[in-house]
Amino acid sequence: MTQTISAQATSAGPKPGPLDTLRSEWTKLRTLRSTPITLAVIAVIVIGLSALITLAVVNSPRRGTRAIDNPVSIIQSAWFFGLLAFMVLGVLVVTNEYSSGLIGPTFLATPRRLRVLIAKVSVFTVVTLAAGEVMSFINFFTSTAIASGTTRFVDPAIGDHNVLRAVVGMGIDAALAGLMGLALGALLRSTAWSIAAGVGITFVVPIIIAILPSSWGNPIDEYWPTQAGSQLEEVTRQAHSLTAWWGTGDLVLFVVVLLVVAGYALVKRDA
Amino acid sequence: MIQVRHLTKHFGPTVAVDDLSFEVQPGAVTGFLGPNGAGKTTTLRLVLGLARPDKGTATIDGVSYQHLRAPMSQVGALLDAKSYHPGRKAHDHLVALAQAGHVPTRRVDDVLDLVGLTDVANRRVGTFSLGMAQRLGIAAALLGDPPILIFDEPVNGLDPEGIVWARKLMQSLAAQGRTVLVSSHLMSEMALTASHVIVIGKGHLIADSTVDQLIKRTPGAVVRLRTPMSQLVLPRLESAGATVQTDPDGTIIVSGLGAPAVGDIAFQAGAPVHELSAVEASLEEAFMELTREDVEFQAHDATSTAARPAPPPPGPAQMLPPTAPLVP
Repeated sequence: MTQTISAQATSAGPKPGPLDTLRSEWTKLRTLRSTPITLAVIAVIVIGLSALITLAVVNSPRRGTRAIDNPVSIIQSAWFFGLLAFMVLGVLVVTNEYSSGLIGPTFLATPRRLRVLIAKVSVFTVVTLAAGEVMSFINFFTSTAIASGTTRFVDPAIGDHNVLRAVVGMGIDAALAGLMGLALGALLRSTAWSIAAGVGITFVVPIIIAILPSSWGNPIDEYWPTQAGSQLEEVTRQAHSLTAWWGTGDLVLFVVVLLVVAGYALVKRDA
Repeated sequence: MIQVRHLTKHFGPTVAVDDLSFEVQPGAVTGFLGPNGAGKTTTLRLVLGLARPDKGTATIDGVSYQHLRAPMSQVGALLDAKSYHPGRKAHDHLVALAQAGHVPTRRVDDVLDLVGLTDVANRRVGTFSLGMAQRLGIAAALLGDPPILIFDEPVNGLDPEGIVWARKLMQSLAAQGRTVLVSSHLMSEMALTASHVIVIGKGHLIADSTVDQLIKRTPGAVVRLRTPMSQLVLPRLESAGATVQTDPDGTIIVSGLGAPAVGDIAFQAGAPVHELSAVEASLEEAFMELTREDVEFQAHDATSTAARPAPPPPGPAQMLPPTAPLVP
């Protein structure tokens, strides 16, 4: 501060680029205690609760000798909460900045708001995809170890048909749930409203679809993004559903559209 | 230099900023004054590209904020002190901002030292008092060592020592040739800090002048004259164009003429003068007078009914003719 400087601002230092924004967003995510704590809590839920459910299922009194035909979905049952938690994490990445007022300094440092959104999406995708995959694989191997040797399960092996796809797919869906939350957060800016919207899209609408007459409900259910996306987690193709990859494409398209709308709103609206 | 041209911003039916034009020059602390709700923060947000004007432009060295090459190295701003995530450490908060602005992260320690927060650099900012938050906000504004600085109500929450510190800091920044724009609703604080003031009320410009001029041209400046032979002086004062009022104790309050002119008239009338004094309006009075019509939330006299507007406040100003607008 002791050095004198020229009164002209135009000669100012190096121009910040997209990498600087990326670095800043990574620092923001890294320096919050809540990030690792939230991820740890999610891990405990999806790994621990899935293990408990698997344990309960394999030890339940036998009704017939037929083995459970979709063991992977039993193993992944606690991901219902896991995906919700990833979505909330995504919401908070953006709404935290609005509720705390940090969005002001963020946009002062980077007036190109799309660049901020892209940096947030990039950092968040890498972190949640990595965390989601690690959790999904630990979850799979923990629960299959619990179930191994019992007769209710045909022990799924990672090499079995579509099993690896389902395990990897759960990690991908975790990241997509998070990105949907992030987009909703950028669009709605309020934590409560964003979570409500996310829960509505993921859980409430499918329930409403389920009580519709099947002639209406089935085609909607087939293409409803979160329902279609969940096909990636299935080992066998369900009735009235898209294939795993078409379904995933449907969900990805939905998330991308949400992000584009959020980006447009971010640029057009007052911060 | 900050340039605001015909800036207008509506929020629904409310006009927050109304055809506002002014310039802020380097090398001086410019006070940006107005009652609460006058549109100060909105104007600053428009200048900083956080909000979009309905009409008009706000530029920094000729470019809008969005088009600055290196924003943090060109403009430093403190808008709302508590603009941080409470769970982040002060040091990390500044590192994230420095990285975004391509400012070397070693600047973080410099600015923490400058604002006196080195000892709490590794504390989570959620534990900070408002005064510490203000210091952190000022540190963030100084990160890029910018030649233009904008502070919105920077002394809010600072203790007396902190206020003196902030005042000296702003003056030293201006003395280095920087442009310093400081908003406040406290005229008394600006009287000590700023040399130039821009006053707005209900979103439009009320005054843009130096502090000295503003005080001189305010209809609070009067001359007090005490003489046992007032009947000799009064007609001459009135014929010289002054407005005169006599207090119950016999003191003549003259406005429209300076103390030397009033003294000369008394001398020519042959009246002995017992007291002759120029009463200068304080900047505070100047401010009150200027913004009286433009205060958004006017407190009314407790005795008056809601339906009846409160009477204008008493004081020398009210008996005086309106002065010419101060806007050059």
